[in-house]
Amino acid sequence: MIYQQLINGLMLGASYALIAIGYTLIFGVLKLLYFAHGEVFMVGAFVGLYLVILGGANIYVALLGAMIVCALLGVIAVYVSVRPVSKDRPLAPLISTIGLTIILQNLAVYIFGGQQVAFPETIKQQLYHFGPITISSVQIFILAVATTLMVVLWLFIEHSKMGRAIRATAENHETAALLGVDVNRVVLVTFMIGSGIAGVAGVLDGIKNSGVSPFMGLGAAVKGLIVMLLGGLGNVPGAMVAGLLLGMIEILSAAYIGTTERDFFSFAILILILLYRPTGLFGTRTTEER
Amino acid sequence: MFVGWLDGYTQSLLIFGGINVIAAYSFYAPYKTGQVSLGQAGFMAVGAYASAILTQKFGMPFAVALVFGGAVAGAIGVMVGFPALRIKGIYLLLLTLGFSEIMSVIALSWEYIGGAQGFRNISFNNYTLEYVAGIIIVLLLFFARLERSSLGRAMDSIHQDETAAEVMGIDVVRIKLLAFGLGAFIAGLAGALYAHHATYMDSTTFNIMLSVEILVFVVVGGGSTFCGPLLGAAVLNAIPEFLRALREWLELIPVEWTNFYPMNTAYDVLHDFLDFENAKRLIAYGVILILMMIFRPDGLLTRDSLRRLRLPRWKARHA
Repeated sequence: MIYQQLINGLMLGASYALIAIGYTLIFGVLKLLYFAHGEVFMVGAFVGLYLVILGGANIYVALLGAMIVCALLGVIAVYVSVRPVSKDRPLAPLISTIGLTIILQNLAVYIFGGQQVAFPETIKQQLYHFGPITISSVQIFILAVATTLMVVLWLFIEHSKMGRAIRATAENHETAALLGVDVNRVVLVTFMIGSGIAGVAGVLDGIKNSGVSPFMGLGAAVKGLIVMLLGGLGNVPGAMVAGLLLGMIEILSAAYIGTTERDFFSFAILILILLYRPTGLFGTRTTEER
Repeated sequence: MFVGWLDGYTQSLLIFGGINVIAAYSFYAPYKTGQVSLGQAGFMAVGAYASAILTQKFGMPFAVALVFGGAVAGAIGVMVGFPALRIKGIYLLLLTLGFSEIMSVIALSWEYIGGAQGFRNISFNNYTLEYVAGIIIVLLLFFARLERSSLGRAMDSIHQDETAAEVMGIDVVRIKLLAFGLGAFIAGLAGALYAHHATYMDSTTFNIMLSVEILVFVVVGGGSTFCGPLLGAAVLNAIPEFLRALREWLELIPVEWTNFYPMNTAYDVLHDFLDFENAKRLIAYGVILILMMIFRPDGLLTRDSLRRLRLPRWKARHA
């Protein structure tokens, strides 16, 4: 029983981690709470869904399509709601991305209707038994995709030239610019990466819950925020670990305490972290805002 | 009082618009000291549930329940405000958001207040419109007076630079707590009014989007003057109604004017555009928000624009 729950927690945590990675990347580079991130996740899920339903695409094409469309959406978000907004008012970019959130969510309601749409079965459902644990092919697929994505991203951030530029920009815009980093390009690339990952996470979530709804973004956004905070603002590996941790905590509290109390625990964690460890479990250098 | 000469639809419109105005002031009070809260819906929920418990389970009159709802929300506001003193910016935003979500989890899981079924059959208050109008007038007088009082100026100085304010001898802790608690109190009143007009609420009634909407009212109207929240809430609540009225006028155009080629398409497009159901209304909200942040990040009304109007000044004795 407990092993089974741990597997479920891992599943939930993987999707939280994927959302939080985008959040934390964008926060790191811009010090901006990018509110529309959850809606990008939702758009990704719908793109994947329509590629499967209308285009008859297989799941890999759907994932890739969602990634590309969401990366483009990230670029649009930068040009619409980040660049034109003045930087000297700390609230302004936050509110403009809230505006974008509202637009995306309601555009989805307008186009797709307010109902949940079923996600067709794209992976043959098959159950594998390992001792006391039962794991389905869908779960294995989701975990494999999420893990691959995280490893690739980690390698990219740590070892590529662009990854180094992203880390430099996150530390200090002016210094990075002086050292020859094209900060505007870094911001754009960061949004593309974060949004693309969120798109993939959306499709994976659609497969997992066999449904997609225009309102799935808000909940995901809030959970992503908690994970980002738990891992430390701007800390990518922190977000990965914290995502898994929150997934575990939620599933275990749902299994052993009660399903309605599950959200209570995540928000209680949010508040405790804010009060006692605002740098996150793993610490970051981003403490100036406090 | 007003009931005689307003039809039910207009009344309901004014009531919900008025509750939004009150909610906007609940955001404005802490914002005046620089505290941005995304949890005002949570305080509204506290006021709504506390007052509804009093009228339904204890048979108290509405006036008592209204004050009680506000007081409970205010007390919880001070309790939340204490830890909130240590943090600001994004962290405060997240803290208040978390608080609001915890309130909705409690509303969902506590059977005494309806749980997942929601709180049903709250007694309907016949005088909501009068209460709303009265509270708005009091709030306006209060905040107008506050603007030119020493307390109000202390709040502004905390907003601009907390450290400098503290150095100048302003009791930052006390004033920030006061502002936060006051905001929560006002939100509690708004929630109590809402509950006894809608007569039904559940854990999703006071959600994040409501908190966001409240923030939007103040940002659009302008957070630096006391008239900003009123203007923002009034304008944003009036726009859909105005478009609805336009649509009704459009339908009065004689058919023979619009039944040939270019006119009929134009008519259909316009008619469709003015059909402002919720999703479109919210999309328009989002567009307005982004445009506002690009072109007028301080809101429609700022101190400068008011100064240009040369309004008669409210003289304070010790300013």
